[in-house]
Amino acid sequence: MSAALKDMIRNPTVAELELVARYAALKADPRRERLFEAFAQTGLPHRRNEEWRWSDFKAAVTGLDVPAAPPAADPLATDGVTTLKFTPQGYTAPATLPPGLRLLAKDEAQAMSGAENAPLGALAAALSGAKNAPATLLAEVTDEAPVRLHMVFSGPGAINAARVVFLLRPGARLEVSESHLGGAAFSTALVEYTLQEGAKLSRVVYQRGGKTEAQAITALIHQDADAETKQTVLAFGAKVARIETRLVHQETGSHATLNAAYLAGDGYHIDFTSHVRHGARACVTRQVTKGAVLDGGRGVFQGKFHVPRNAGQQTDASMQHNALLLEEGAEVFAKPELEILADDVQCAHGNTSGALDQNQLFYLRQRGIPLEKARALLTEAFIAEALEEAGDHQEALRAEAQSWLSEV
Amino acid sequence: MLKIQNLSATVGEGEAAKTIINGLSLEVPAGEVHAIMGPNGAGKSTLSYVLTGRDGYEVTGGAATLDGQDILAMEPEDRAAAGLFLSFQYPVEIPGVPVMTFVRTAMNAQRKARGEAEISAPDYLKKSREVAKMLNLDADMLKRPVNVGFSGGEKKRLEIYQMLMLEPRFMVLDETDSGLDIDALRTVAEGVNALRAPERGMLVITHYQRLLDHIKPDKVHVLAKGRIIKTGGPELALRLEEEGYDGVLAEAV
Repeated sequence: MSAALKDMIRNPTVAELELVARYAALKADPRRERLFEAFAQTGLPHRRNEEWRWSDFKAAVTGLDVPAAPPAADPLATDGVTTLKFTPQGYTAPATLPPGLRLLAKDEAQAMSGAENAPLGALAAALSGAKNAPATLLAEVTDEAPVRLHMVFSGPGAINAARVVFLLRPGARLEVSESHLGGAAFSTALVEYTLQEGAKLSRVVYQRGGKTEAQAITALIHQDADAETKQTVLAFGAKVARIETRLVHQETGSHATLNAAYLAGDGYHIDFTSHVRHGARACVTRQVTKGAVLDGGRGVFQGKFHVPRNAGQQTDASMQHNALLLEEGAEVFAKPELEILADDVQCAHGNTSGALDQNQLFYLRQRGIPLEKARALLTEAFIAEALEEAGDHQEALRAEAQSWLSEV
Repeated sequence: MLKIQNLSATVGEGEAAKTIINGLSLEVPAGEVHAIMGPNGAGKSTLSYVLTGRDGYEVTGGAATLDGQDILAMEPEDRAAAGLFLSFQYPVEIPGVPVMTFVRTAMNAQRKARGEAEISAPDYLKKSREVAKMLNLDADMLKRPVNVGFSGGEKKRLEIYQMLMLEPRFMVLDETDSGLDIDALRTVAEGVNALRAPERGMLVITHYQRLLDHIKPDKVHVLAKGRIIKTGGPELALRLEEEGYDGVLAEAV
């Protein structure tokens, strides 16, 4: 490794040196270099980076040779739905694709907008799209009849760094589910969706990683006029897991629903970070995040709405985060942020965290429901609202939550 | 059946603990309905919570048994499985949990605790339809989350619905008449009376005589300052209605 490469990251850790070595082994390419530099500015993000203060990847990723648990089971797999699989070795796709979907695998790096704001997304972009490396895949959706697609990101391996870039043509519809199942010491997926005029995206994300693994899922969503995204995430975390959504309303009438639920057990960490920019008039954002955390678990919510002075007039946006601390020792950190510079807007936010309601618990127990079951029933009901927009996947997600709750 | 002996209990913790039940003794034999009347602050609701095991109440003396079983040592859910039911003065809203799910879960949990087989979905629905009809409950109400958006009267009727579904052996009704108009009161009383049986017992807590016109008690107890100060037949309730608590309390001292 050349001295210049080594110096890209200040005081690099073993894991960061390994990442530099992986990058150095790929074919040199100016775009790839820019992407890796965007990552190297921060390196693995750590608690002194304001946006990462509660999710320290530098401390959590001790090396890429850390053995990971086998990938979690996939509750979203459905017979007959086109499935793309992303592993540390590359990707697989069926020979025939549904009408309205075109895929193009790239063996060179692709430019990424805002790479400096998403270091782990930039890392995924820098390490994917080369021979014998994880995939960079471009996908074009052209049909007004919904295209259904399932994507699985899983190990085994040292690092899984996939990138998928979707372009939804005007009026196109995509119903995509993503299962991020871990199985690698470090997984970082970058998924981008550009919605042209009137396009509609339904995105359902299931995340479950092992206790020794780090996972980052970065989504960049750009919406043109009257485009609409409905996103639902259910996450169980990992040693450290970050699920980040950066969405830009670029033209008038764009609409986004960003819902998420998290259940964090002992030793699991889940970070939901979102950044929504209302860059055009009369756009709508609805965001509901619900979580429940056990002793030794940690939940993080960082939500930001940015409404610029002129462009953001008539914004209609609401953000809600509610967390249940199921046991002493559970931790939740929340930072809801509204940066509103326009004056003709409706923006609301609510943020709560607390224990289960004792009156409700007693009521259930008085009817004969044992304490553990009562807690599970109330917690399931508490997070249910966040899963209501998951369409066909709602039942599967609820079943996963139920099964987790029945074991705690 | 239910036997309470010299029971004392406090509310609150440490320095703030306050004695609310103070040497209360009471016995309700199987097959009987007893009423407890008393002024505000006498300890009526506290008694219902102490019997059912709510957190925040500490028993400092005495005993309470149901058919010889020490209920005070049991968890709330075990008391319920043993057949103890409380119709709440203020039924609790449970957002996100439909009535059907809630009651069926409760029923099966109780059955499991007693070593009985679960009720099948068709059997449950059949029974539910019968009970709902008796109480004039709309079928749609049973699909909604427990008590959420229900009127005061609907909440009370839902308490009685649960009681009829769960068929407890001993029932404590805490001011079931409050918030009910006269028609709803009659419907609720009809539901309660349907459960009167030689093997069951009931404790009806109320401020007013009017509920007792519909649910005829075998005995009436007057509770004041945490203990029973007077016991009589149904005529005692009528006297309280006419003379107020002051007269009866003054006489007792």
